[in-house]
Amino acid sequence: MKSWLLMAALLLSQAVLAIPDDNQQPAPDLTTLPLDKGLPVIVRVGVYYQSVTGFDENAGTFNSTVDLRLRWEDPRLHYPAGDTPRGFQEYRGPKADDKLKQIWSPGIAFTNMQDQPSYQVTNVRIFPNGWVELMQRTTAQFSLKVDAGNFPFDRQTLAVEVEIRKETTNEAALIFLQEDLDFSRSAQDIELDGWDTGLVRINRPTRPGWYGESHSALIIGLEVKRQAAQVIASVFIPLIASLLIPLVALWMNGMENGEFKVAAFILANVIVGGLFTVIALNFTINSAYTLIASGDNTVTRLFNLNYVTLGLVLLIVILMYRFNLLKRLFGEYVQEESFLFLLWALPVLAFGTAGAFIAVAAVG
Amino acid sequence: MTGSVETGQLELMKSIIDFNLQGAENKALARAAMIADTPKAKQLFAAQDRAGLLAEYLPVFKAQKEKYGVDQAQFHIPPATSFLRLHSPDKFGDDLTQFRPLVVTVNRDQVAGKGFAIARSGPAIFGVVPMFDANRKHIGSFEIGIAFAAILDNLKAAYGLELAVFIKESPLKEFATGIAPALFSDQNRLGEYIRYHSTNTDLIQSLVTDRDLNATSNSEYVREALGVPYGVVMVPLRNAAGDVLGIIAVAKDFSGSRSAQDRSKVWQILMALFAIVLLVGFVLIVIRGLLLRPLQALTAKFSQLADGDDSLQENPKLDNLCEELDALAQQYDRLRDSKGKP
Repeated sequence: MKSWLLMAALLLSQAVLAIPDDNQQPAPDLTTLPLDKGLPVIVRVGVYYQSVTGFDENAGTFNSTVDLRLRWEDPRLHYPAGDTPRGFQEYRGPKADDKLKQIWSPGIAFTNMQDQPSYQVTNVRIFPNGWVELMQRTTAQFSLKVDAGNFPFDRQTLAVEVEIRKETTNEAALIFLQEDLDFSRSAQDIELDGWDTGLVRINRPTRPGWYGESHSALIIGLEVKRQAAQVIASVFIPLIASLLIPLVALWMNGMENGEFKVAAFILANVIVGGLFTVIALNFTINSAYTLIASGDNTVTRLFNLNYVTLGLVLLIVILMYRFNLLKRLFGEYVQEESFLFLLWALPVLAFGTAGAFIAVAAVG
Repeated sequence: MTGSVETGQLELMKSIIDFNLQGAENKALARAAMIADTPKAKQLFAAQDRAGLLAEYLPVFKAQKEKYGVDQAQFHIPPATSFLRLHSPDKFGDDLTQFRPLVVTVNRDQVAGKGFAIARSGPAIFGVVPMFDANRKHIGSFEIGIAFAAILDNLKAAYGLELAVFIKESPLKEFATGIAPALFSDQNRLGEYIRYHSTNTDLIQSLVTDRDLNATSNSEYVREALGVPYGVVMVPLRNAAGDVLGIIAVAKDFSGSRSAQDRSKVWQILMALFAIVLLVGFVLIVIRGLLLRPLQALTAKFSQLADGDDSLQENPKLDNLCEELDALAQQYDRLRDSKGKP
């Protein structure tokens, strides 16, 4: 009997305890935007390039390990400084992920990351004054738009693009100040084959959202400059040399008593051989550098110059050497003077144009 | 020497700074006027109730500081004695007449003023308004100061400019006794100036030297830093007395315009080369091919004729001659034919 009474009393006490207290305040929802400092919430961003490997310019991708640092203030997270001897509360790995589910954090995404990261770890520090520091190390493949317009004197920007996708610019904004610039750099030992690494630069675009809104974004890019000397030997020397083929066809001929010494069909054969050489070179270079196979760049310009020069010389061979067109129209002296003029003028213009193409790329 | 595009960009940079400094002055003045016009502020200040003013306006100042870059707020008693600094409530009662001419002027003329000044707590953009009690009796002034850091960081975010503010060391040391002593380090010193705030220290260090800051002319130039050309504009900061106490250096990446300029030069040189070669070709072909060479051939024929050469009849006829030379050739033919007759 006693045990029954005891059991009943225990159940009753548990039932009483289970009744909610109307006066008790519900726990504040810390996952909402911190409004105490007004909107937008300022999120400071810095990116440190830990390593960069495997820059594939043809595919427009690079592999990198980057440390993304985000800092923002959430006054709801204030706590007495004496609570933490280290000066901050720290959450690492899975604990950090759990903590981020309990507090507001900017919904930041790497917009140019290909697939899932091969490695990602997060660290969160919360300071007594309410400042939150989120550090995230990510190893992944990132895409970039490679502009080969100034090849081989081009600079590329190996950039990671971060964007707040959840909140609009009126709610949360990404910025970078001097401290963030100091953090945003590359590791001293970064080496990229065929490229010289430079500074880390930050741009601040905005991305369009729904209903005329926009989302804050930052592009944090490591500048790299191509080591042009390596490419000049393998690409430009053959291109300039192939330019000599039609000119040789022009120079091989001579005049004697107003008549050309070499038969036109022999020179036409040289030009046709040159045409096949340029086509083969075009194919070889395009296979090695698919990036420059199309579009407007120094290499395509030089190939076009080769084709134009071949065409011009073929025209000269047919009209002047074969049919003596100038002689028939204006007499033998005009033809002779034209021939002598073309012997130096065409090379000067062809190599002058080639030089201009290269110079434009070098200064661009 | 810079192109017209770059000159335009440098002017635009200067305009952006001027416009934003004026904007900051107006904002400071508007905020100061808003507080100075409240009956509570008038009542408490007229009663010299320092504690009351602090209790009423410290929370307002803190919110303004955190959200909007308001750095300083101060009540003054005429002519220019600090009554209460909301940003530093423990320091009051000091005389500001020596280094705050704007405050002296506002209290003397009882007209609002605005501008740059070096205050006890550091340099800032100020708006100062006179304060009156309920009976319109002048009781002092109130000012709001907006920090340079906020202005410069916002300009960088909005326009992509890199900026730094340099303040003359002697007045900064003398008047701004409340700023951190670490600011006067050798790293921040450029001649007689101290780099007070910068949006990109490394870059500004490469672009601005003490000679640039001390130069009386040429406040705009283009200089290369870290392999990139930058346009730099120096905007002087003057106090109410018109003395230059600081300089804002503004830098913008000019690599786009500079490379466009260089590309344009290369194309122009190429076009000139084409023009020269084609002109030379035209002259050579026309003058030599149509005039000189046929004339040379005719001269040779006349010479042969004069020498009584027997092969005269075998000389081929010259074709495609111009009208004048054709007439000469006809004369030659006549002479040859007449000479060939028995």
